[in-house]
Amino acid sequence: MRVSLSWLKEYVAIEMSIDRLVNALTMVGLEVDSVSDRYTYLDRVLVGRIRDVRPHPNADMLKCCEVDIGSGTIDVVCGAPNARKDLSVAVALPGAVLPDGTVLQKSVIRGIASEGMICSEKELGLGSDGSGVLKIDNRLTPGRSLKSALELADTVIDIDLTPNRPDCLSIIGIAREIAGIQKTPLRYPDCHLPGSGNAVDELTSVTIEAPDLCPRYAAKLLSGVTVAPSPFWLQDRLLSVDLRPINNIVDVTNFVLMELGQPLHAFDFDRLTGHRIVVRTATAGEVFTTLDQKERQLSRDMLMICDAENPVAIGGVMGGHNSEIEPGTKRVLIESAYFNPSSIRKTAKQLGLNTEASFRFERGVDPHGTVTALNRAAQLMAEISGATLVDGLIDAHPKPVDAPVISLGVSQTNRLLGTDFSAPTIATLLQSIEFDVRPAQNHHLTVTPPSFRVDVRRPEDLMEEVARLSGYNNIPLTYPAVPVRGRPLLKTRTSRNRIKQLMVGCGFNEIVTYSFIGSGDGDRLGLKNDDPRRHTVAILNPLTEEQAVMRTSLVPGLLQTLQLNLTKQERNLKLFEIGKTFFATGPDALPEEIEMLAGLWSGSRFSPSWHTSEVDTDFFDLKGVVESLLQQLDVQKVDFTRLPDDDCTYTRPGVSARIRAQETEIGLLGEIHPQALRRFDLKRTAYIFELNIDRLLPLIPDTKSSRPIPKFPVVTRDATLIVDRLIESGKILQCVDQMNEELIEALQLFDVFEGKPIPKGRKSISFRIVYRSSTRTLEDEEINRLHQKITGQLLEEFKASLPA
Amino acid sequence: METSIEQILEEALKALDDASDAESVKALSVRYLGRKGAVTLFLRGISQMPPEKRAAMGKRANDIKNTIDKALKDVVHRFETAQTGLEARIDVTLPGRPVPLGSLHPISRVTQEICDIFVRLGFDIVEGPEVESDWYNFEALNIPKNHPARDMQDTFYMSDNIVLRTHTSPVQIRTMEKQPPPVAVIAPGKVYRRDSDLTHTPMFHQVEGLLVDRQISFGDLKGVLTTFVHQMFDERTSLRFRPSFFPFTEPSAEVDIVCVMCRGAGCRVCSQTGWLEILGSGMVHPALYENVGYPAGQYSGFAFGMGVERIAMLKYGIDDIRKYFENDIRFLRQF
Repeated sequence: MRVSLSWLKEYVAIEMSIDRLVNALTMVGLEVDSVSDRYTYLDRVLVGRIRDVRPHPNADMLKCCEVDIGSGTIDVVCGAPNARKDLSVAVALPGAVLPDGTVLQKSVIRGIASEGMICSEKELGLGSDGSGVLKIDNRLTPGRSLKSALELADTVIDIDLTPNRPDCLSIIGIAREIAGIQKTPLRYPDCHLPGSGNAVDELTSVTIEAPDLCPRYAAKLLSGVTVAPSPFWLQDRLLSVDLRPINNIVDVTNFVLMELGQPLHAFDFDRLTGHRIVVRTATAGEVFTTLDQKERQLSRDMLMICDAENPVAIGGVMGGHNSEIEPGTKRVLIESAYFNPSSIRKTAKQLGLNTEASFRFERGVDPHGTVTALNRAAQLMAEISGATLVDGLIDAHPKPVDAPVISLGVSQTNRLLGTDFSAPTIATLLQSIEFDVRPAQNHHLTVTPPSFRVDVRRPEDLMEEVARLSGYNNIPLTYPAVPVRGRPLLKTRTSRNRIKQLMVGCGFNEIVTYSFIGSGDGDRLGLKNDDPRRHTVAILNPLTEEQAVMRTSLVPGLLQTLQLNLTKQERNLKLFEIGKTFFATGPDALPEEIEMLAGLWSGSRFSPSWHTSEVDTDFFDLKGVVESLLQQLDVQKVDFTRLPDDDCTYTRPGVSARIRAQETEIGLLGEIHPQALRRFDLKRTAYIFELNIDRLLPLIPDTKSSRPIPKFPVVTRDATLIVDRLIESGKILQCVDQMNEELIEALQLFDVFEGKPIPKGRKSISFRIVYRSSTRTLEDEEINRLHQKITGQLLEEFKASLPA
Repeated sequence: METSIEQILEEALKALDDASDAESVKALSVRYLGRKGAVTLFLRGISQMPPEKRAAMGKRANDIKNTIDKALKDVVHRFETAQTGLEARIDVTLPGRPVPLGSLHPISRVTQEICDIFVRLGFDIVEGPEVESDWYNFEALNIPKNHPARDMQDTFYMSDNIVLRTHTSPVQIRTMEKQPPPVAVIAPGKVYRRDSDLTHTPMFHQVEGLLVDRQISFGDLKGVLTTFVHQMFDERTSLRFRPSFFPFTEPSAEVDIVCVMCRGAGCRVCSQTGWLEILGSGMVHPALYENVGYPAGQYSGFAFGMGVERIAMLKYGIDDIRKYFENDIRFLRQF
């Protein structure tokens, strides 16, 4: 809401400095967004003196003026009849922006260069006379800025209003708040009309067929109108708040809209068929041309203002082209109505039409302000257009809007606010902004809010008014007593934080990517058609195609982050993200949200340093990270098994593993598939893992218990087997494990070798078995026998041989 | 016998004087004080002596043992502190072998910091879904359909009734539905608004707070949020509470802090106002109690919500909100 200081001063004496006013408004809840000088557009307009005038060689109507602008003289071509030698004038220089939007440039007019423009008062937005150049006081020195020379000063304040304060969508509304702050009187404009005949009823009528959508419709009629430009004072008011003057009739409706906050509409009465108004809803499929000459498709619940036959306006939103005020309009019907706020909002939304009128109606105008605004507009129109008021007015009022009467408890107020106000203090505060307050029984007040405060319905609303007017900052700080009964921290949160810390400890940088991905990202991963991750949840109104569906995987985000960093020449990356993925469960149902952890390692194994040469990372680097992570989380019975080749389409066959814990599949690990690399525009490979946090959480034990430290020494024995190269080491270790020998404490694989002297197609696997008893020192003899038995079984089971 | 122990002492001290390296000192230590060393043997022999001499001789022998021991240690110390040979030197200015550590995203760091403060104050942490029904995100929070308050947040829709939550406030409703007062919770999480420009990203993070009990006042709200701001920033950071509007609180207050960059003098960050808006807050609107089935008139409480990105920007001097989601490693490594 833009308000000019000069206009505000019509209704309230402003005693504060601008800075204090701005602060005071902000602190009562009318947040000031910006403060500006209304006349900054005149910054490039100077006082000039015409030193010489010559006729234009190529045009009889034009003159060539030599204008002194202090710093020198410039040549200006001018067409004004009153331009003459020695006249002091206003000169706009190139770069100046005039109120009609013209940006001044150096130009050549009929072959003669012109370096500026000598302006009329109309062109400068300083008056209505456009017949000649503005003559200014000859005593003013050429070169002075016109703004300072004419002492033009007005401040425009832009206020960011919250939706609950439609009463402040007017100059009078803001003035009322200022009066309340200053505790000074507010001067309302005179809105009473003499005469109370009913001549109007013989000329027109208003029929409301949809009283729920239009609880009140008032109208007044004027005859003998002369449509013309408005007087300067009226144009000036509109210009001060950035509204464009049109003609005296439309300008008055806009003036009253800004002054009182009541949207009005003026119809050309003689263009209304049957000379009457019918308020009804539209019929389905109806098409209507609005003032801006656009065709609008109407739907059945839209409220229309109609004449005897056709719609003439979309109620509360925009008037129609067919009943618009025209230069020849003689009779005018002014509409002032109260419309149902949510109906107006729905219509405006559907049509994509947000107007000054709809903006106010949907927030709620003063239901009792209808006639006041109507009278004010009628009076002004009569004054400036020479019209005659037809006696009487129509006020169709089928559904009175009730004003609430609220019982406000003084102690309840103080308890909610933490204050100690007396009943009279509360009453005085509320009365300062026109609330009607009466004392009641039991330390209560009976409060009737003024009709324009449509936001005040409950005692709490009044308490806010009390707090706001006394100043939020004057309420003392207190501290609540919170019961000491701490609940356990949320396990999801503590586990997630621990996982993050462990990943950071493993050298990974946490990333956060958008939860939406491109609808094509499933294809980029190469997901099969029946992959559950194809069941995405689509956003109906995405910002871009790249953010069109909710992610079902964290992998696209990781790959895009890798891609971005590669373009910034950052090649060594260890990244991870924890976040939700979303799976559709059906139309109009909340999706299933599954929390995932995903990590990526690309580039070098070691941080670049003089100690090591650069080695590329591989599968086992990242596997080590996953193993450490799960071990630190005390997840038991973790195993990695080969992922069947076509199981995961975005990891490379043969270099992909399934991660399980206690028989539950919890994730996967692998190298990114070359196809996926290409589709994500990646020139370097990367290894990734994904873990399903929701499945992992139950596997993380809540408690931890320590084991006794062994008392007896270990005995170790090594074994080397030569087996087929496709036999997985895990199978061999698992086989030992399944022998359930209680003396085996640990198994450590320490060497795998292929190549000479091992025969082709075979490999050697060496591992150490650590034996220990918890009750005695083991004898060599016993262990040798046991070790031999174990290796013997393995030789048989895996068709293995011993090294030569 | 007496001379014998004195002789040992004399010999030992002389031998130590002559010792040229740590090796020979070690040998001397064995020769005199070892298990079969001269002093040790002498001490063992004391039991064979006449009883009247034993005490005096024992004491003297022990003194000598201590003297030799001290002399040995002194010589060892002398050798150890002597300048080492040049061949033993290393280039201590070479960088150490890197132990790479990663980093937490700044949003995680700040979220955790905010949560820690409130947990210390006695709040529990709760979480809720990111895709929400219209009821939890709007209706139950007193934001009816076709109400202008809906314009305050541009919404991503999945269907007429399913939205990406535009704030963490739905967690207020979900929590109160499950639990009678007293309720003291905070709810951190991702939120989404259909807005993308220099100062807005379509996804960002909030921390919501809710405290409901029998006698909670606006003064309490001021007290708790002042404590929070003082812990999050510092005790010098002053606050102001100014009236505002949220459909789910009444009275509602916007909380500004003195600009952490210019300390109130006015700068680019605070648009010359000297103040920065960091929190929305207010007393829980009675309509919410009705919507979750709390009995009317018995409870009061406050709620607040803050943007994590904004607070992180102020704490770390980050100038562009989009940096959080670009994940440029050169940005992430700074945290």
